[in-house]
Amino acid sequence: MKLADNPFFVLGVTTSASRIEVEREAQKLLGMLELGFAEARTYMTPLGPRERSAEMVRAAVAALRDPYRRLVAELWAHHAPPSQAEPRAPTPTTPPRAGLRRALGWRP
Amino acid sequence: MYALPYLVLQRLRQAAINARRKNRSWHYLAWSVLAGLANAAMLVLGASFVLFLWSVALWWLAIPMLAILVVPVIADTLVRFVFVPGGHHRLAYHAALYSRPGSDPPAYALCVAAWAATGGTAVAWVSARREARRPLGDGEVAATALLAAARGDDATARELLRSLPMLVEDHPAVRELAGEWLACDAAERAAWSELCEDAARARWPATPLTYLLEGLAARYTGATTAPSAGELWARWALAPRHRATRALVAGALAIPPGTGAAPRPVDAAGATDPAEPVAAAPTPLPRAVAAHLAFEVNPVTPASLAYTVRAWDTALVDATTRQWLAQRALELDAPPGAVDRAIHEVAGAVTDDLARRAEAAQLGAPPGTAGPVGHGLSRRLRHGRLDALEAAFSRWADRRHDNTRHPAIDEWREFVALLTAYNAAVTAGGLELRRLAFPHAFSKGSNMAAWLWNKREEYALSHAISKWLLAEALVVGDAEAIELGHRNCALAIPTRLGRISS
Repeated sequence: MKLADNPFFVLGVTTSASRIEVEREAQKLLGMLELGFAEARTYMTPLGPRERSAEMVRAAVAALRDPYRRLVAELWAHHAPPSQAEPRAPTPTTPPRAGLRRALGWRP
Repeated sequence: MYALPYLVLQRLRQAAINARRKNRSWHYLAWSVLAGLANAAMLVLGASFVLFLWSVALWWLAIPMLAILVVPVIADTLVRFVFVPGGHHRLAYHAALYSRPGSDPPAYALCVAAWAATGGTAVAWVSARREARRPLGDGEVAATALLAAARGDDATARELLRSLPMLVEDHPAVRELAGEWLACDAAERAAWSELCEDAARARWPATPLTYLLEGLAARYTGATTAPSAGELWARWALAPRHRATRALVAGALAIPPGTGAAPRPVDAAGATDPAEPVAAAPTPLPRAVAAHLAFEVNPVTPASLAYTVRAWDTALVDATTRQWLAQRALELDAPPGAVDRAIHEVAGAVTDDLARRAEAAQLGAPPGTAGPVGHGLSRRLRHGRLDALEAAFSRWADRRHDNTRHPAIDEWREFVALLTAYNAAVTAGGLELRRLAFPHAFSKGSNMAAWLWNKREEYALSHAISKWLLAEALVVGDAEAIELGHRNCALAIPTRLGRISS
């Protein structure tokens, strides 16, 4: 999915961030991850929070250095709905009547 | 003094039950009441005769009379309320044998034993009895399904029970049990529409419990044939398990007939998806991304797939998308041709995502989609499914040569699984895929049907395959297959209920 691992979400920067801002944010995140800062271990996406690692940060910076790859990443990130602090829950459906079959005399 | 009225009542009771099996109108209630009255009268007569024998010191005659006259009348009640809940599979089996369920009582008894079976010993006992019965018939398939249900494998149970109508051997008591299990299962999943469809097509003879659940389903879905409050309470009174069903009846009666909570209909192209989450998005691209996101997190439906495909097809050919991409490409100093390449790459990635989830949900490409995503998805789903089907049919036919005599029920399960995959693929791929898939299926299926008839003597199983091949041949218009199918299906099928011509 192009939203959960989008480089902009991994780095926590907007699609209008300049190349210098991207590099600076990546260095900051790598340092925080090295020192084991808890807040650096997760990032927000429209699908909810995801785990962040140093490899993901390096891959995200590499992607945003390439103008073409950045263009594709921007297409997704720029037009995505706002990031969610909680995992996105599916739309609720009619709850099944658990245990009814047993109550009607059938197993299990 | 006792024998003649008893025999008349027994005939009357059986006739009422047989008539009830063919009805789903108010006649059902009338026949049920008649059968119940006959049953009660038989019980009174039988018990009086036994007491009379006992009182005149003929106890040695009273005991066999008890077994002959009283036990068959109360056997079904004992099975349902004592032996099955207690897990007494042997007692359930023998009680069912004595309940006079019609021709070939062991078929019904086997199902009842499977219904009561708990634990490995009971399952092994039922399986051994099943294996001893050859050739395969509806009783063995239903018993296998009930064993699967007992170990929590509902999907297998459902699939096997749904396959019963393909078998020519028809024990009404077995079909009643199958229908009741499926009705209870549908009620538990709140799959009221499924239950309504079964009732409308009268797929199974109904037990009083099935008949009640069908009435509830009609009320819940707002069907025009939904029973009135009085009729629903009458059905409730006839059915067992009053305490468990009372709340369901009360809930269904809260909905006036004809106005039930049926799901909102979706048009052929799925245009009225209730989960259009981004209708307010101003331009096509944000709408497409939001639709994609909703598609990823929510259960996949034909409507949500159609909506997402349409949203992407609109977004990727939209002028504002190209304009935005061209401007950003310029600002980022992207290489020439980056816009077209990006659109192509996004279309491919989206198609991959949608195809993966559509495959998992066994959905086909939505009709009438002409954009890059719609085209790609149709091609991907059709080709992938055709390859998978051909491989599965070849593997199935190779079973003839692996020098292993598989149990007949395994042969049936293999066929049913293949059939499910075939139906899912052709439903999704349409007539075009059906025409492409049929020749291979016909070649392998005909060989298997001939082998099962000639070598394995599994006549009902072989006939079911031939009948299915004939039905498919008629749909795709394959003249050679139609001719062969008619010849094969015209053969009389030896079963435990006699030779059956279909």
